[in-house]
Amino acid sequence: MTAAAHSAPLLDAAGLGKRYGGVVANDGIDIRLDKGRVLGVIGPNGAGKSTLIGLLGGAIAPSAGRIRFEGDDITALPASERARRGIGRTYQIPRPFLDMTVAENLAVGQFSLSPFISAATATAERRDILERCGLADATDVKARDLPLLRRKRLEVARALALKPKLLLLDEVGAGLIDSEVSELIALIRSLQDGERSIIIIEHVIRIVKECCEDLVVINFGKVLTKGPTAEVLASDEVSAVYLGTSHGGAANASPIAAPSTTADPAPSASATAAPLLALEGVSAGYGQARVIHDLSLSVMPGQVVGILGTNGAGKTTLAHVISRALPVTAGRIRFAGDDITALPPHAAAARGIAHCMEGRRIFASLSVEENLLVSARNVATAQCKERLERIYALFPVLAERRHAAGTSISGGQQQALAIGRALMAKPRLVIFDEISLGLAPVMMDRLYEALAELKREGLTMLVVEQDVERALDVADVAHIINKGRITLSGSAAVVRADERLRHLYFGIED
Amino acid sequence: MTVLTSQSTPQRTISIRSPAIRIVIACIAFAALLAAPIVLPTYFVEIGFKLLIYIVLAEAWNLLAGYGGLVSLGTSSFFGLGAYVTVGLINQAGAGPLQALAASALAGTAVAIVMSRGLFRLRGLYFTVGTLALAEALRLFVINVPWFGGATGLFVTVDLPEIAALFRYATLLLALAALVMALATGSRFSVLLRAVRDDEDAASQVGVRAFRIKLAAFIVASALIASAGGLQAIKLGAIEPYGSFGLQWSVDPLAIVIIGGLGMRFGAMVGAVFFVAIGELLADYPELHVAITGVTLILLIRFAPRGICGLAEAALRRRGAAPQEAHP
Repeated sequence: MTAAAHSAPLLDAAGLGKRYGGVVANDGIDIRLDKGRVLGVIGPNGAGKSTLIGLLGGAIAPSAGRIRFEGDDITALPASERARRGIGRTYQIPRPFLDMTVAENLAVGQFSLSPFISAATATAERRDILERCGLADATDVKARDLPLLRRKRLEVARALALKPKLLLLDEVGAGLIDSEVSELIALIRSLQDGERSIIIIEHVIRIVKECCEDLVVINFGKVLTKGPTAEVLASDEVSAVYLGTSHGGAANASPIAAPSTTADPAPSASATAAPLLALEGVSAGYGQARVIHDLSLSVMPGQVVGILGTNGAGKTTLAHVISRALPVTAGRIRFAGDDITALPPHAAAARGIAHCMEGRRIFASLSVEENLLVSARNVATAQCKERLERIYALFPVLAERRHAAGTSISGGQQQALAIGRALMAKPRLVIFDEISLGLAPVMMDRLYEALAELKREGLTMLVVEQDVERALDVADVAHIINKGRITLSGSAAVVRADERLRHLYFGIED
Repeated sequence: MTVLTSQSTPQRTISIRSPAIRIVIACIAFAALLAAPIVLPTYFVEIGFKLLIYIVLAEAWNLLAGYGGLVSLGTSSFFGLGAYVTVGLINQAGAGPLQALAASALAGTAVAIVMSRGLFRLRGLYFTVGTLALAEALRLFVINVPWFGGATGLFVTVDLPEIAALFRYATLLLALAALVMALATGSRFSVLLRAVRDDEDAASQVGVRAFRIKLAAFIVASALIASAGGLQAIKLGAIEPYGSFGLQWSVDPLAIVIIGGLGMRFGAMVGAVFFVAIGELLADYPELHVAITGVTLILLIRFAPRGICGLAEAALRRRGAAPQEAHP
């Protein structure tokens, strides 16, 4: 901290505050960042981290405080002027220019800052950035056609095209598996050239640990504590509000070694019964690209099945196939004995398949309670009320915020809402797709506690998850998918012990 | 869309894509248009004039809505403005048609700049409603302020140019519009404009001064529309507020571009040909004309949201994909 304190800091934000009506999102936050340093910002969902990025990037006007960048007061400057001075940011939920190619997305920043840059230089710069970000093969692809995680890479690439002096990364590591996290860490390290400063908001503790020199912890819009990374992570206060059970940091670094805390699942009584869901030789994909190949699996009533695999392995595609949001090109899907291969999604939902989609998909214009009621239409009022009470018992925080707008609540609460919405239909099978994405460790604990409770009640679940340890804790059976095929199946204990799991997740594939 | 990729893709071998060939083709086309009134019967010159005016309006609207995301219903405000400025200058100052049209373009620019402060605060549908209000406000202004002849309007008091000359003015205006569109849609500016269209906040975050980019597009479009309005006024010889500021001047360009292809380079041209052709073929059945245009719009929006040009592009790509697979 003291090493570079003599020179003027690159960024000096003092007393930053933001209120939305009566809600205080940020209150009296001080942040100083010297040239070439990397600062991590952590805190629970809803603590005000994204608001802070907005305040620094210029998207949000502060209600109090001032920001100095390279000695100049930039508090009143709009986002575009801050970008031109060298502040590049990413959005937590990617906002690429959808109808433009990946290369054009990068060109926006280039042409905006230097309209007369030579075409050859601009192309070479773009190629370099895209290669570093792992998007070289997608140069001429429209951003609309990129999946979520590649859009996140595009966020980073687009910010880099500005050649920023200060880079603000808002949860770019969410949803990545360990080998990809390693790539991201390598990328961030390659950006540390002594000139560029970076502020990282992140829930993936490994990135925080390996990239950030200093750490600021935010809770309820205020700085809870700050200091060198190791010290901050070791403090009891931080583990109480943020880290939860993953405190100690072992969970993310070595999923295999971490102890299994929950009791081994007692196999459900219905071992001999017919499967609730059966996929027989299913293939599916988007346009020319086949994502799932000849895949078969079955789910027994009351069983919890974990679907694991790297990003791009076909997990989310599989979830969409089962909920009938994506047509199959071959094979059959049976649900409770009936062939549902040709059914539209709403008919599948009516039969009792609920899909808690990746990315939450909360209806912004509806309140929390309305979001819940949407999936329980044509249900008697009394029953509806009963179900609502049930959800509110599971997630008391939703009851507190029942009249708030669906997307005004924090990320973790939104995820709870998405789960609640799936349950409101009183489904026979729920597909949970990446519910831990972008959540603070302590919030993940809470969601998985809820899942464990649902399991005890006998709900059949399909859990798609990149956090291996959490998925294996709750699952009876797990399947590992690689390149659209099941490469390993077995009970959670067997899969946990299998060498191939380690290989897959630590990037020693093939 | 080809700003970045055209240099590197193998498609360069196809001759029609090379810029030099395009310029030559465009020059020949405009020379042919300039010569057309000599050989064509008056009826076709009249229709041709109408077509040219519609193409210019549609090009301007496509620049705003298709490339800039600024869905405007204010075309008629600038159209009427151009009409009144042109007739006023010709009558009062004895200006020639070209001078009057240039002054209309300047007036369009000035109004665009003045209005931009307020209009650009509105986004999406609110911007659309704002532009609609502008047209209405200008019309009421013209009716109620004594200088403009009230609801009766104004007559051109000097001798009017012949239709052949007007056709040539329209051709020049179209050439100007084509040049501006080529620059605005094939340049680095188009990258910035489309970024603002796709996500204005994200564009600001990478340094784009969204206000200036939108203003540039708005000025260019307004100047073109005002000139077209002036030209139409000279042709009619008489203007009145309900005609010059009529909603049809706002709605027709929109229909044309949606039929031709929103945000497509040739959308305005193709759509205008279709629109004018239908109008002429069904001139004796006006109600049928409106119905067919409406049904066409519904069908295109439902089945081909990128219009006739979008359909053609998809068909070309399908045909182009087959031979490319032959030699990988």
